[in-house]
Formats: sequence, structure tokens, C-alpha cells
Amino acid sequence: MSERAAAERAQQRRYQQVLTIAGKGTAAHQFRETLRGIALDAAGRVVAVGDSTLRVFDPAGVLLHSWATEKPGQCVALGPDGRVWVGQEGQLEVFAPFEGGGAGEQQARRVDVWRDAELLGRVTAIGHAGDWVLVADASARRIRRFDRTGKHLNDIGGDERARAFLIPNGVLDFAVDAEHVVHAANPGKHRVERYTLAGELVGRMGRFDGRDPEGFAGCCNPTNVTLAGGGRLCVSEKAAPRVKLYDGAGKLLAIVSDEAFDPGCKNMDVAVDALGRVFVVDTVRLTICVFAARENGKEEGARR
Amino acid sequence: MGDDPTRRQVLKNAARGAALLGLTGSAGYLFTRSGRASSWLIDPERCINSRLGALGVEICQACASECVVALSAVRAVNDHARCGRCYICPAYYSVTSAVDQEGLPSEKLCPRDAIRREPIGEVDPYDPANNFYEYLIDEELCNGCGICVMACKEPAGLGSLRLEVRYDLCIDCNMCAIARACPEDAYLELPDGHAREPSTG
Repeated sequence: MSERAAAERAQQRRYQQVLTIAGKGTAAHQFRETLRGIALDAAGRVVAVGDSTLRVFDPAGVLLHSWATEKPGQCVALGPDGRVWVGQEGQLEVFAPFEGGGAGEQQARRVDVWRDAELLGRVTAIGHAGDWVLVADASARRIRRFDRTGKHLNDIGGDERARAFLIPNGVLDFAVDAEHVVHAANPGKHRVERYTLAGELVGRMGRFDGRDPEGFAGCCNPTNVTLAGGGRLCVSEKAAPRVKLYDGAGKLLAIVSDEAFDPGCKNMDVAVDALGRVFVVDTVRLTICVFAARENGKEEGARR
Repeated sequence: MGDDPTRRQVLKNAARGAALLGLTGSAGYLFTRSGRASSWLIDPERCINSRLGALGVEICQACASECVVALSAVRAVNDHARCGRCYICPAYYSVTSAVDQEGLPSEKLCPRDAIRREPIGEVDPYDPANNFYEYLIDEELCNGCGICVMACKEPAGLGSLRLEVRYDLCIDCNMCAIARACPEDAYLELPDGHAREPSTG
């Protein structure tokens, strides 16, 4: 390996784990059987769904709020108005914004529920773009666009020629940026694909490679994707589980971690906060692992 | 020069012969009527190659090496309803091998090349990944070594591959040599002795 390549590789391994949130158990802050989705608010609070429960943690990992969901949560997203959207089987629930500060149970106020067994088969990701709500239906392998009233407008990835999204792992994940471009993980094709809200494919990045860490290994990766600011993407993979950062052109910027997770993990939801810290769900240990980039041995400050 | 047999001796010998013939015939008749003496089932939750959670362990190839039949009576079977039909299957390809010009792994995983990969429907000429693929076991070549089963296990795959004893190949040993050798005690003897219909693979 050349000196330049070695330096590049060293630069890629510059993240360290700084915090572990939740865990598997019966304590108030823990999850018993599943932990599937996370979302971050502007204050750095972590919203997590699993079992049939939603929990809110402060940036230090202290439990703030907890309330029940009607069905086990598959994913969670925060709307621009602070409302909490929880994707489930055949439906999604919308809760009022939670109050900040202070621990304890919050009286959950569900303000809306969308039920549609056909259009909301299994909701594994939710995003917001202007006046629209985007919902990943993993059963149909499509991303669906709705207006705020719940009226279905069109599908993304529903073109039969495109065979829809190939998701052998059973989870369809995406993120939508400020320009309303949808970045969707298509694990069966080893890519992240970019679509307009109308469903037009406008770009893609990624390739299979079982040796070069810049590639996506195994049968179906990446499983999850999120935006990391500055046009960057953060993805997670299974077998072996790892989390990586890319630029918009598909150049590998960093391996956040490839050793912190249980080897049996898959479909690890990821999120990146305003400070550039990366949050990853360990789906076996039911923890949220938090990583920060280190610069000269110290944790980096705001990067975004 | 011996004495000529007496009438009594001749009749005695004839009776003995008839008895032996009758006994052999009856035994043969009873043997064919009874069918198999036992049937063996491989428990996928015990077999180390298919057991969930057993990650990073060495592949057990006892099913291939311990069977008294030259080409083991055990075969890999693919549950197509469960199979992901992936473009790049970790049981078909050696997914850590170098990538070829088509962007696929350059090496296959099966040492006997016993798995066939066939596209389902028409292949998109602009994007071969834009398709499902069917993975079929060639039972003339498969020896039940279990390498593909281990590679298909979650989380790498979907666990659609498992090992199965083929009753049309099994010679029904008094005590199955594989069962005795199995380190995980994964061989179960069916109590009723009825042979199971082999699954399609």
C-alpha cells in the first residue's frame, strides 16, 4: 500500500465511540425485544422506538420521556413542527411535540393516525419534504408520497422495469435533503439511489466489493442511509456490521466503526446530529451507539 | 465308496431344504413389506451450519465426510419461498473474492460447483442487478458439505438453505454413521420409521 493510500486509510478510521444509550432489559430506559428506529431533534435529543414504546433521551443518554405506541415501532421521524411520526405495520401514528427537559412520563398525545393496509404495508422510514410526507413501504418495496392530509400522490421506485427496491433484509430506508432529493438505500443493487419527489431516478452511488471498504459487501448492503450534512451520506451495513461516511460522489470519507456492534446486527438505523456525531442502533444489544470524530486525540466539535 | 442314502435321509434332506427356502422367502417378503427401518431428520436449529447466532464458527462437513455412501445421502436444499433471490448470493459466490469486470465476485463458493444461478424472467440489459435470480442445487454434484448453508445463514443471508437426508439415497444403516459423528447431535430419528417425502431443492 502506498504512503498516500495508507494515510487515507488512517484518516478514514478517525471515529471513536463516546456514548452508549439504552440497552436490553426491563429497566425504564431499556428495550426488551426490539429497538428499530431513531431520530434526532435540533437540541440533540434522541427519539427511539422499539417494542411498542417510544423513548426520548437527552444528549447525555438520560431518559426524558416514554410512552406506548399502538403497535411495535419500525421507524421514527420528527416533522418540521416537532411532531413525532412513528411507522408501524399497516399504519403510522403522529404524536404532539414532546416537552423538553425533566425526566418522567409525558402524557402522550396522539394527534393523528394513518391506517392503510395496502399503502402502508410496513413502514420502515418516514421523511418530510415541504408539504409532503414520504413513507417507505417495505412490503411493497416502494417509497410513497402523501400530502399532509394523507392523500397518496405517487410512488418512488414503483417502476416495474426497476423491479422496485430490492430489499431482501425487509427494510427500506431513505433520507430526503433540503432540495427534496430522496436518497434511498437499494441494498440488492449495492447502491444508494437518488430520486426526485416525482419518482425520477437522477443519480446513484455505490458498488459491490467484498474487499475494498469503499464498496458494499455481501448480498445486500447498504441497509440504512441518512444525511450527514455537507452533501455527505452515512450508511450502515450488515455481515459484518459497519457504518461508513461517503461524500455525494461516493468517495469513502470514514469508517465510523466496524467493530463496535454485535456481529448479528442488521438493519441498523443511523442518524447524524448537528455536531457531526453519528448515532447507530445495535439491533441485537438494543443500544444506541454514539460516535464522534477525533482530531488530535480530542473529540471534534461542530463540523456540520 | 459310501453307502447309498436311505429313503429316510432323502426325505429328511428334502424337508430341510423346503424349510430353508420358506424361511428365506418369508424374511424377504417381510423385509419388503416393512419399508425402511428408520428415517433421519437434521434439526436446522441444532446443526452448526444453520443454527442462528452461531457466527464465525468453523463449517462442519460431517454430513459429507461421515456417510458410508460414497457420495453422501445428504443434500443442500433451498427454500425458494424464503430465498432473497439476490443478484449476489453469499452462498453462490465467494463474496470476499476479487471483483471481476462485471462487478461480480470472481469466485464461486461451492467446491463442487453444485449450485446453478438462473435469472428469473428477462434480464435488464442495462442493469443486470435489476432482477431476481433463482439458485438451484444440482443433486448430482452436491455432497451435503454444508458450506453454502453456513454462508446463507443470517445475517449474511436469509437462511433459506438447509441440509436434508435424501431417503432415496440413504441406505438405512443400522446406526447412521453421520448421526453418531454429528458434534451437535442434530440428527433426529423419526419414531414411526416412515420415510419422509424428499423436499424439492
